[in-house]
Amino acid sequence: MALASSNESPRVGHDTPYSVIDKCNAFIFRVVSVATLFMVVVTFSIVILRYGFNSGWIALQESVMYLHSIVFMLGMAYTLRTDGHVRVDVLYRNWSVTRKAWVNLIGTVLFLMPLTLVVIYYSFSYVSESWRLLEASKEAGGLPLVFILKSLIIVMTVQLFLQGVSDVVRNARTIKHGEQG
Amino acid sequence: MEWMAIVLFLCVCGALMFGFPVAFTLAGTSLIFAGLGYVIGAFDPSYLHALPSRFYGILTNQTLIAVPLFVFMGVVLEKSKVAENLLLAMSSLMGRYQSGMAISVVIVGMLLAASTGIVGATVVTMGLLSLPAMLNRGYSPSFAAGTICATGTLGQIIPPSIALVLLGDVLSSAYQKAQLSMGIFSPDSVSVGDLFVGALIPGLLLVVLYLIYVVFLSKISSMKGVSTHSASQASPREIVQNNAPSLLHALVPPLVLIFLVLGSILSGYATPTEAAGVGAMGALVLAVTQRKLTRQVLKSAMQDTTKITCMVFMILIGASVFSLVFRGFGGEHLVQEFLTNLPGGVIGAMVLVMLLVFVLGFILDFIEITFVVVPIVAPILLAMGLDPVWLGIMLAVNLQTSFLTPPFGFALFYLRGVAPSEVKTSDIYRGVVPFIAIQLVLLLALAIWPELATWLPDIVYNSSR
Repeated sequence: MALASSNESPRVGHDTPYSVIDKCNAFIFRVVSVATLFMVVVTFSIVILRYGFNSGWIALQESVMYLHSIVFMLGMAYTLRTDGHVRVDVLYRNWSVTRKAWVNLIGTVLFLMPLTLVVIYYSFSYVSESWRLLEASKEAGGLPLVFILKSLIIVMTVQLFLQGVSDVVRNARTIKHGEQG
Repeated sequence: MEWMAIVLFLCVCGALMFGFPVAFTLAGTSLIFAGLGYVIGAFDPSYLHALPSRFYGILTNQTLIAVPLFVFMGVVLEKSKVAENLLLAMSSLMGRYQSGMAISVVIVGMLLAASTGIVGATVVTMGLLSLPAMLNRGYSPSFAAGTICATGTLGQIIPPSIALVLLGDVLSSAYQKAQLSMGIFSPDSVSVGDLFVGALIPGLLLVVLYLIYVVFLSKISSMKGVSTHSASQASPREIVQNNAPSLLHALVPPLVLIFLVLGSILSGYATPTEAAGVGAMGALVLAVTQRKLTRQVLKSAMQDTTKITCMVFMILIGASVFSLVFRGFGGEHLVQEFLTNLPGGVIGAMVLVMLLVFVLGFILDFIEITFVVVPIVAPILLAMGLDPVWLGIMLAVNLQTSFLTPPFGFALFYLRGVAPSEVKTSDIYRGVVPFIAIQLVLLLALAIWPELATWLPDIVYNSSR
């Protein structure tokens, strides 16, 4: 699969110094990335427990789901900062630094920010209702933390919005200073 | 106002060409359309109230938990140099035969596909290690490049493949939907496991076809004397042989993992998600035993896994916004009307969808196509009576082909990135053409004999389908 973002050379405009927002998102990313290792260990334990000892806990299975959600929801913003989200770069790759900065600036303002605002608007009552009930898992023996899980939607969008603000500033600077970025 | 849905789709395709990340372009363009539609009274914004529950559905999706686990497994294997060891060991073994190098590239590609399944990484590794060696051997640049690109994409189709996990998830909900629309209220289900099992025979068949072509072409070119066999006897082979790990040492890790992962799924011991966890743990253990698991490797494996997972799920989120808006404009209904009224019935519809997927594959990644296009067309095709496993395999092979197809195939870009300058881009393009033809042969074979995909799942799961 075309998932090799990690081996590509660093891209232009993404190696500039980090803003406070970038640093926060980077910190969160580093912390949640450790959860991938926990996912592996817990999933493996579930298999061992089930087939070795014939027992299983719903709570353990749900904890993998929680770890999984935390990983991809909270890592999203920093993935944006490091240009980890796929682009159709047939034309983009050959453009100048300034032109790329324009694309990113306009894209952020036109696409990313409205998305985050719309999601926050439509999710707020959904999430706050869950908090009011302190909603628990519907499964017997499941984790009583569904309201936390649902809150990830808000946390992710806030992170993305802030990352968008940081990106707008960075790209605007790149445009202003031309090639030096 | 249903035409708005089509305009939306076209505008999304156009907007994507600017190169802003796909996930946000998808969602953003859709929301702009939703806003426009609201203003002119063509879109009911209450559709958007479904957004949070859609997102929650993504968070609690059990099948997709396999994605980070499989990615973790692949990344750890990649970082512990399993691929490199395999290539070196295989080519030192096969090196003395005329077509040996090319055969070993194909076989290693298959093993890497089954163990790591990361197309980009496989093509890059093989491009760095095998391409110079193949050129030294006197293989023509186009043949060498084509072989590497094609085998690098095998990770798409040979299970366990992340592409099949995503497709399986989308198809299982499409299948439920299709059966409900047909009035079947205790629907059958199709799972990622079904797709894995179904992909085995077509995947292996593809490898065999590749091998036949590679051997055949090596024979032809040696008869013509194109090969500069003698000139190459000097350096590369000796370097390879001196540094090559023993074949056993190199073969055991991927084989053990393939056995663990596929075996536990086929025997019914584990779900694909659990098997992915076992595989990832296995990869870690192997990395430890080979003394490759440093703190740095673990850290970058965790971070790469997180980044790739975020990328995949952001597209899923963007696509779910798109599909809500698309449905809000009545687009699903429109597509259904269109597909069910095509001349040629289900065959006509299938051919059209396959063409559409192929063309979209020029610009979109398989993830986008799986999340954006398949949920719209699959319920309709399945309601017309197609087998879900067969449809899944057809889509997977088709998407794999689009990875290879010039000018925008992803595999070609990856190889271009690492190929020496003596290999011209036109060489790469020319080299993949025969492999694309092989892909099309497989698609045709699957269309004529659907049993190639459906027979094994029927045996393994003994299902009544």
